[in-house]
Amino acid sequence: MIDLSVEIGSLRLKNPVLVASGTFGYGQEARDLVNLNALGGIITKSISPKPRDGNPPPRIVELPAGMLNSIGLANVGVEAFITDKLPFLKELDTAVIVNVAGSTPEEFLSVIRRLEEQDGIQAYELNFSCPNVKEGGLEFSQDAKVTERVTSQIRRVTNRPLITKLTPNVTRIGEIAQAAESGGADAVSLINTLVGMAVDVNSRKAKIHTVTGGYSGPAIKPVALAKVLEVARKVEVPIFGIGGIVTAEDALEFIITGASAIEIGTANYIDPATGEKMVPELISYCERNGFESIGALVGSLKAE
Amino acid sequence: MPDSQEFRKGIYDCPVQNIRNLVGDIYLMRMSCPAIARSVLPGQFVNIKVNNEYVPLLRKPFSVCRRSIEEGWIEVLWKVVGKGTQTMSHFRVGDSVSVLGPLGRGFRGPASLELALLVAGGIGVAPFPFLCEVLLEQGISVEVFLGARSERELSFVEEFEDMGAKVFIATDDGSRGRKGLVTELLVERINQVGWSRNLHHFSCGPTGFLSAMIDLTESLGVEGQLSLETMMGCGFGICVGCPVETREPGPEDQLYRLTCIDGPVFDARSVILHD
Repeated sequence: MIDLSVEIGSLRLKNPVLVASGTFGYGQEARDLVNLNALGGIITKSISPKPRDGNPPPRIVELPAGMLNSIGLANVGVEAFITDKLPFLKELDTAVIVNVAGSTPEEFLSVIRRLEEQDGIQAYELNFSCPNVKEGGLEFSQDAKVTERVTSQIRRVTNRPLITKLTPNVTRIGEIAQAAESGGADAVSLINTLVGMAVDVNSRKAKIHTVTGGYSGPAIKPVALAKVLEVARKVEVPIFGIGGIVTAEDALEFIITGASAIEIGTANYIDPATGEKMVPELISYCERNGFESIGALVGSLKAE
Repeated sequence: MPDSQEFRKGIYDCPVQNIRNLVGDIYLMRMSCPAIARSVLPGQFVNIKVNNEYVPLLRKPFSVCRRSIEEGWIEVLWKVVGKGTQTMSHFRVGDSVSVLGPLGRGFRGPASLELALLVAGGIGVAPFPFLCEVLLEQGISVEVFLGARSERELSFVEEFEDMGAKVFIATDDGSRGRKGLVTELLVERINQVGWSRNLHHFSCGPTGFLSAMIDLTESLGVEGQLSLETMMGCGFGICVGCPVETREPGPEDQLYRLTCIDGPVFDARSVILHD
């Protein structure tokens, strides 16, 4: 019996396959199309203190093997999340991880304090790709000091496991990951989207309303893997690998490189059962290659 | 006429039964899909993955053009405009296509409707054969207004007539029907019919055409519904990539609604469209 379980602080996931924030709504939308309980966990859309409408369209652009998005953190806000979305999630037999967004440290804290009063939440993922308006709009995880400080502020208000989600749009992501670890994060997740752009040459306008957006999908996997490797060499805490994962083989590339768990994102738009279908294939791989647990495979990348 | 998804959606591998190039770049494909055929409503759509590759990556949305519950098939109609639709035009009988559906809120039948005016801009005719069939079954009269650049972009003319609908045609170049805009034909017809009958328009086509239909709704006072087309990501409400602006949102309303789950059919007075 292959052991697929993963431990993140006090959180035990039944398997390493999760769905990424912003790609699975609040869980209910895909319930006709996938057995949600087959997943190791569901990470919700980013929750902010107040509801957010999101950006004007166009919010998405399809590109070869990828897409740009500039949704603008559209979400129902923490109060409506608690009343309308959490009850469904609590009934599930999979880990519920709430992704939290904020434009100031205080906004992060206010959402978390409110969620601390609720049960049914197993962990928080901190969306540190939000622009920090107190630092001139620089994203939280573009600055190591800010990452450490805000992670530690959040650490003080909760005992639930904290996963700090990192932007790849930095020079040294390893240092940012170390800062999150020093701040008390139980894990780091990477990568969030890459900054990207597309231009309509007929109108001579950018194809997405905000001009640049977040690039995701299979095309970004090589970049994500390199970032996971860099971070794995710098931190001890577990890593959630994200970036263009569609197949079990993609997931295994991340695990071998150093990720303890993975998040599936864009692939959910094509088939929300992508994660569910992957789990038995991970088991077969372990059986064929003599690994008794998925944990034994983490970071098993061979040196020359 | 119910409009919404009491039925569950699913992802199905559907064998191609038939594929035809009707005229110009316009194709009609019939796929075996009993589950969707049984549950789909007029105005709903399906989201099709055109290949097993990463290019194009996302599914492509298509209105269900016609369906047969008895024979277990659905049809989609498209014009080749890019890679996805180009790939679909090369499908062959027996190929298996991944179809996600049925999706969206379809057309709703207003109470005591007597005459339905179906107004199509170009390939916007796609959802109307299905709608026409259902309306006629309910004893509602149907008149179809087809607008296109030329006769090489017109389809289903004889089929609508055979079903028992009156058809009016306008082409930009005058190659068939009246030379001019379909909206002109519509205004004439509404003035002819007068106010003796309970009218409603159902419109589908490019955004500029739909904006004109919104203006007509205001100026003529004829209620109507629009089927919108917009860039979509997932098609079932998780990516929230397909917003449409709500007109006059109340304090409880959001600024945007989603084309894939609140639409693609919207009341003509309820949305603001930008070209």
